[in-house]
Amino acid sequence: MSVTLSKLSLRNARRQAGNYLIYFVTVVMVCAMLYAFNCLVFSTEIHRLSGLLDNMVLMIVLASIAVVFVIGWLVSYTTGFMLSRRSRELGTYLLIGLENKEVARLFFLENLSVGGVALLLGIPLGNLVYQALRAILLAMFSAPYTFRYDFSLRSIGLTLLYFAVIYLFALLRSRKRIRKMKIYDLIYFERQNESEMVKKSRNRRLLFAASIVLGVTGTCLLITADNLLIGVTGAGCIIFFICSFFTSFSSGVPAFFERKPERKYRAQNLMIFRTLTGKLATMGIVMAAVSLLFTATLLTEGAGMVFNGIFQGRLERNAFDLLFVSDQESHTDLCREKMTEQFPLTAYRQYSLYPGGDDSIIDYMIETAGYQRYGFDHDFNECAMMTFSDYAALRDMLGLPEAELRPDRYIIHCMPYLEEPLRQWKEAILLDGKALLPGGIYTEQFAQNILNGNGHQFLLVVPDAYCAGRQPIRYCLAAMTEHSITSEQYEALQLSLEERAADGISIAVSYWDMLYSKSINVSRTAAWSAMSVFPLFYLALTLAMTAATVLTVQQLSEARHYHFQFELLRKLGMDPREMRRALFRQLAIYYLMPVIPPVLIAVPFILDLCGETEKGTLVGMNSPAVILAVSLGLFFLVYLVYTAVAYIGMRKNVLPE
Amino acid sequence: MLQVQNIEKYYGSKNNVTKALDRVSFEVADGEFVAIMGASGSGKTTLLNCISTIDTVSAGDILLDGESIAELPSEKLAKFRREKLGFVFQDFNLLDTLTVEENIGLALTLNHTDPGAVRKQVQTIAARLGIADILGKFPYQVSGGQKQRAACARAMVAGQSLLLADEPTGALDSGASKNLLEIMTQMNQNMGATILMVTHDAYSASYAGRVLFLKDGRLFNELLRGERGRSVFYHEILDVLALLGG
Repeated sequence: MSVTLSKLSLRNARRQAGNYLIYFVTVVMVCAMLYAFNCLVFSTEIHRLSGLLDNMVLMIVLASIAVVFVIGWLVSYTTGFMLSRRSRELGTYLLIGLENKEVARLFFLENLSVGGVALLLGIPLGNLVYQALRAILLAMFSAPYTFRYDFSLRSIGLTLLYFAVIYLFALLRSRKRIRKMKIYDLIYFERQNESEMVKKSRNRRLLFAASIVLGVTGTCLLITADNLLIGVTGAGCIIFFICSFFTSFSSGVPAFFERKPERKYRAQNLMIFRTLTGKLATMGIVMAAVSLLFTATLLTEGAGMVFNGIFQGRLERNAFDLLFVSDQESHTDLCREKMTEQFPLTAYRQYSLYPGGDDSIIDYMIETAGYQRYGFDHDFNECAMMTFSDYAALRDMLGLPEAELRPDRYIIHCMPYLEEPLRQWKEAILLDGKALLPGGIYTEQFAQNILNGNGHQFLLVVPDAYCAGRQPIRYCLAAMTEHSITSEQYEALQLSLEERAADGISIAVSYWDMLYSKSINVSRTAAWSAMSVFPLFYLALTLAMTAATVLTVQQLSEARHYHFQFELLRKLGMDPREMRRALFRQLAIYYLMPVIPPVLIAVPFILDLCGETEKGTLVGMNSPAVILAVSLGLFFLVYLVYTAVAYIGMRKNVLPE
Repeated sequence: MLQVQNIEKYYGSKNNVTKALDRVSFEVADGEFVAIMGASGSGKTTLLNCISTIDTVSAGDILLDGESIAELPSEKLAKFRREKLGFVFQDFNLLDTLTVEENIGLALTLNHTDPGAVRKQVQTIAARLGIADILGKFPYQVSGGQKQRAACARAMVAGQSLLLADEPTGALDSGASKNLLEIMTQMNQNMGATILMVTHDAYSASYAGRVLFLKDGRLFNELLRGERGRSVFYHEILDVLALLGG
């Protein structure tokens, strides 16, 4: 008997993989991602890139655990769904004399085989995904990449462990369910479903009306939110809307049409909304869960995009290979001495920053461009001045075109986002009793968005004579090196400065002393990206795939039912073009419904998150609009694949030939 | 109204041809109630499918209101079906997600009837067929007989000229069958509906005014009820069936 059961299980497993192909493909893809990220966890090559990447292990493991939960839910849901769809078949097994425990074993083996095959296909595919991740990471650290197809036993082991957790949990649940089932329940399962087709209770209709009110309120609150409390209340309203809308849809929509029958009978409304109502009556809670998963997807993906934008913004901050800033001239002298000793420098310049006088320009920028001061009170170089000769030398060092300055003028060098408002700034500044007028604006990278850089996001450049008698507020040293600084070299430089401090000279990266290295900045940014952006995208992709799979499995499993409907409509004389249109509209509404609330939540959330970052960081390709567009674009790209699969499958199987 | 002229229907490939219909000809006049009888495989359903444009003929022609069905381009077939033909199937073919009212209204919607007028038309026909009180219910909430009456209402609501019924009593108990057949007679006599019903049940056929008998794809016999009582006609049908051997 056991041999027969095994054969039957395998045959059923093959059939299952065919019938639920989209689910099977998703499981394979998730397996590939689990394996690929496990490879990152265990890769010594990746860990050697930066010490900071040790934290990445924790982040990836946390993301993987979340993925295991999400996929565990998907497998559990789909096996439960298959169980209900195949109840008559399982009932027949009992009818011909199999015991409950044997049927349970049959189902268990069948699903285990599907999981096993997914694992076998997922691991080699995961290796390719890993190679892609490896290539991206190495490129971020500017390290050389060569394609290598090798397997990590430890990664395979961890993937196996994750899969065991995912499958065992789901299968033990169905096993328990089958063991308790009676022949009658299995054979007449569909009849039990029938009575659930449409729910018409008054409470549900009220809930539907309340959900619409909450949805509109939540959206208004989120769009107009200017503080956390309103934002959270808005999000709460939308979450309640998601849960209540989908569970009450099957009562609310018919009630609406009851009052407006002429709308019901307009074009294909009747077919489309009744089909949706019937579907949502049995899967309202699942639809709400799917919608919440999409919300989580968009929030996770949006957060990932914002972090990525912040890190990219940081990358662009330091224009110089090395920059040292101190409030002590002796410290800068010492740093110059050490730098020239330790690195072959192609150029360097020691210069000072001076206080820029009154703050009226800052008040103007706060008002017109949302400029933010440093959040603490001191004589920081917010409104700093530099002599034109230093400025010209630094521009030359950076390979920037020459700037010109007339004796009665001053130049503003600022971050790009301040350019437009500062062009409107026509006020003179008073220095030594003389008024200097604006004489040009430059916006190239100039180390202005780092703590203690060349001014806080902007700098005034004046003729040298106006700084002659002034006490500098900062002593700086900017240098360009022949080769990129390695982290070892950077640490050695820091150490040598600290050693001198031990000798009694007051130095070494004290509170106001800052040492920046462009290459170290690149490496740190890459590490931060790897630690945060990678796991967030990994999680977002899994969430999106899981939710889209549930929707698609639900839709494709109805193909036979819909085929009957459309076959009848054909007999009743529905035009084939109208049938195609009706199917398209039906699918479009079905797939759009669960994404509208998540988009309503995610758009203000992502824009708010962008607004929380320092002004001027998210610009150009990392501007909030681009972040929002890419977040939504990536999500809809994945979603569209599933929608297209469903539409093609439905057109093929549902519409009469 | 309906003219079936020498139609033939073949199935299969070159080496294995099955002749489902062999030079079948007959006419159905406006307002007639005609039954088609025959054993399984005699070609009843094939004939009905050809008339209903669900299937095509291999030879011959079918004319409805003087218009040849065979010559209708495929894009006009759908319009032809929804405007001229009404269907009643053995297994009701009602959509389970739609209420009875909506199932009937569906035929009007497909016909692009003014949405505001749909409900009124549905209520009118439902009242005539005695199902006005179940309009708000779903198919799974009503009996088989009620479902079939709803199917009849759907078949006639849009003013279709010919009602095609395929074993309409096949899934009903005797009481519900009798009720349905009386409704169909009422539709024929009071509402002027032309009905072509395929059945293998002599009792059902006895409600018709004329019965055509098919055997091996050919028209074998024809019985006219005339002024005779239904019971007499029923026994005559049984006699022909005995002769048919089915």
